[in-house]
Amino acid sequence: MTTSISLRGVGRKFGAAWALSDVSLELSPGVIGLLGPNGAGKTTLLRLLATALPPSQGELSMLGFDPTVPAERTEVRRRLGYLPQEIGFPHGFTAFAFVDYIAVLKEWTQPDLRHAEVRRVLDLIGLAGSSAKRLRAMSGGQRRRVALAQALLGSPAVLILDEPTAGVDPEQRAVLRTVLAELARTSTVVLSTHQTEDVAALCDRVVVLDSGRVRYDGQVTELVGRAAGRVWLADAPDPAASASWRTGTGRYRNVAEHARTGVEHVEPSLEDAYLLLRGSREPDWGHAEELRS
Amino acid sequence: MTTTAAAAPAVRASTSSLSVLAWYEARRFARNPVFLAAATLTAYILWDRQRGMVADINAVTVYPAIFLGGFGMVAAFWLTQSMRRSADALDVAPTPWPVRTAAICLAAVIPLLCGGLSLLAIGVFQQVPGDWTYGSLGTSNLFAVVLSQTVLPALGGPLLGAALARWVQFPGAAAVLFLVLYGWVTLTYTLAAAHRHSTLIVMLRFFAPFAFFTNEDSPGRVETWRGSPWFFLGWQLCLCAVAVIVALLRGADPGLRTRLLRLLAGVLGLAALMYALAVVGGWGYPVMTMPGAAPVPIAG
Repeated sequence: MTTSISLRGVGRKFGAAWALSDVSLELSPGVIGLLGPNGAGKTTLLRLLATALPPSQGELSMLGFDPTVPAERTEVRRRLGYLPQEIGFPHGFTAFAFVDYIAVLKEWTQPDLRHAEVRRVLDLIGLAGSSAKRLRAMSGGQRRRVALAQALLGSPAVLILDEPTAGVDPEQRAVLRTVLAELARTSTVVLSTHQTEDVAALCDRVVVLDSGRVRYDGQVTELVGRAAGRVWLADAPDPAASASWRTGTGRYRNVAEHARTGVEHVEPSLEDAYLLLRGSREPDWGHAEELRS
Repeated sequence: MTTTAAAAPAVRASTSSLSVLAWYEARRFARNPVFLAAATLTAYILWDRQRGMVADINAVTVYPAIFLGGFGMVAAFWLTQSMRRSADALDVAPTPWPVRTAAICLAAVIPLLCGGLSLLAIGVFQQVPGDWTYGSLGTSNLFAVVLSQTVLPALGGPLLGAALARWVQFPGAAAVLFLVLYGWVTLTYTLAAAHRHSTLIVMLRFFAPFAFFTNEDSPGRVETWRGSPWFFLGWQLCLCAVAVIVALLRGADPGLRTRLLRLLAGVLGLAALMYALAVVGGWGYPVMTMPGAAPVPIAG
C-alpha cells in the first residue's frame, strides 16, 4: 500500500486553544471521508493538508515532501487541488476566466494547453455550457461547481475538498461522485462533509473527528456494522434511543447505543452509525492505534 | 507502507508564470473602469487644453498626475484586492504571493504608457506663448519637470496602490490616500507661494510624490521655485522602488524577505540622498520670469 499523506501527532493551536490535537493518520489513494460535528477540527485538518496552515506540533508529510519547508511546500502545491469551505469570487469574472486565472497560478503557462484543461474541468462538472457566464449571475450551486473545477485542474495527486456538495443538486452530486471515484483510482481524495450519504456512496474509509481528535478511523462498512442490531422501526419513539425521528411512512426510526431484541430491526445507515458514535461514551471507537502501528 | 512522490504534470511552466500573469494583470488593468475613466479624462483634458494657449504649464501637467496617478492608484488597489475574496484557493497555488504581486506591479506599464503618451501630447501639441511659461527652467530641467509631473505619477500611483492593497484591508484606503496626497500637495503649493524663500517649505514641498516647480504669479509673470527637478525625479523613482519592495514583502518566504529588507534599506538611503539633493539643488533662490525679459530674483 502506498502512503501519500502521513500525519504523526499533528496538532494545530489558535491562540491558547487546540483546534486539532495529536492526529496521526496514513492516507493512501482513494476517497477518505471526514466526518464530525461543527467545530470538530475538520476544516483545520483540511487546511493543514492543503498547506494553507502549518502544524503547531507533529510531523506532516505529503507525497514525500515536508510542507513546512518553502521549496517542498511548492512541490506539494504543484500536485494539490483544494476546495475551501467558503470561497469568494472576484467581480467581473466569468467561470472560464476564473478557472483560467487559477490555472495560470498553477503554472499552466501555455495558453492552448491551459484553455483545453480549463474546458475539460468545466465539462467534468457540467458547466461547459455556462463557461462564459459571469460568476455573479450564477446560482450558489453553480458557483460551488466552479470552485470545484479549479480544484480539479491537472488531476492532482492530492485533492482536498471541504463540503464539495453543499448547495449542489442531486443530479450534479451524482456526477461529482463519478468524477471523484474516477480520480481516486490514482489520487488521494480527502472529503469533508456533513452529508453521510456522500461518504457512504464514495468512501472506503472514514475518519471521524470530535473536539480536535480522531474518534474513529476505519472502514465505512465496519462503522456501519457496529450499528447492526441498534436501529429499528417502531410505532412510537423509544425513550431509550439516543436518536429517534418520524420517517415518511409514519413510523419511528430509533437508534440506541445498546442492542435491542424483540423489535423490527432495519439495515443501519452510515448516518445511524455516526449518530451512535457521537452519542457513545466510549472514547475511541476506531482502530486508529492499529493503523498507527 | 511506502511513501510516494507523484510527478507534477509535465505540461506546465514552459514559460515563466510571471510573464503570463503580468500579461493577464495588464489586461485586467486596461479594462478596469476606474482606469478607463482616468485615461479618458486625461485624453479629453489634454485635447481641450491644446486648443488654446496656457500661461503656466502646471495647468496641463497636473491632470495626467491626478487621473493616471491618483485614479490609477485606486484602480491598482482594487485590482490587487479583488482576488482577496478567493484567497483560500489562490494562496495554495504554487505561484507565491511575491510573483503575483510582481505581476500586478508590472501591469503598471499600462498607466506608464498612458503617461508617456500624455508627455508626448504635451510636448507636440500644447501651444505655449513662450519659454517663460515654464519659468526659468532650462531645456534639461524643463524635461525633468514635465517627466516628473506626468510619467512618474502615472507609474508611481499604481505601484503605491498595489503596495497599499497588499498591507491594508480597508477598501477605501486608496481613495483616502489619494485625498491625503492631494491635500498635502495643495497645502505645500500654497505655502510655497506665500513663503518662497523658506527652506522648510521647500523640504515640505518635496516630501511628496508630486511637486510643483513653477507658479503663475499674475498673467505673464511666472515664478520658478527653489529645488532640482532632476534630483526630485530621482526621489520619485526611489519612492516607486520602495512601493514595489514593500508590496513584494507581503507573503515572501524568510529568505526572500531578508533580501528584500536589505534592498529596501539601500533604496531608502538612496531616496534620502535624492531628497536632500532635490532640496539643495537647482536655483538657490526663487526667480521671476516675464516675457522678453531676463529672470530676476524675487526679493526675500
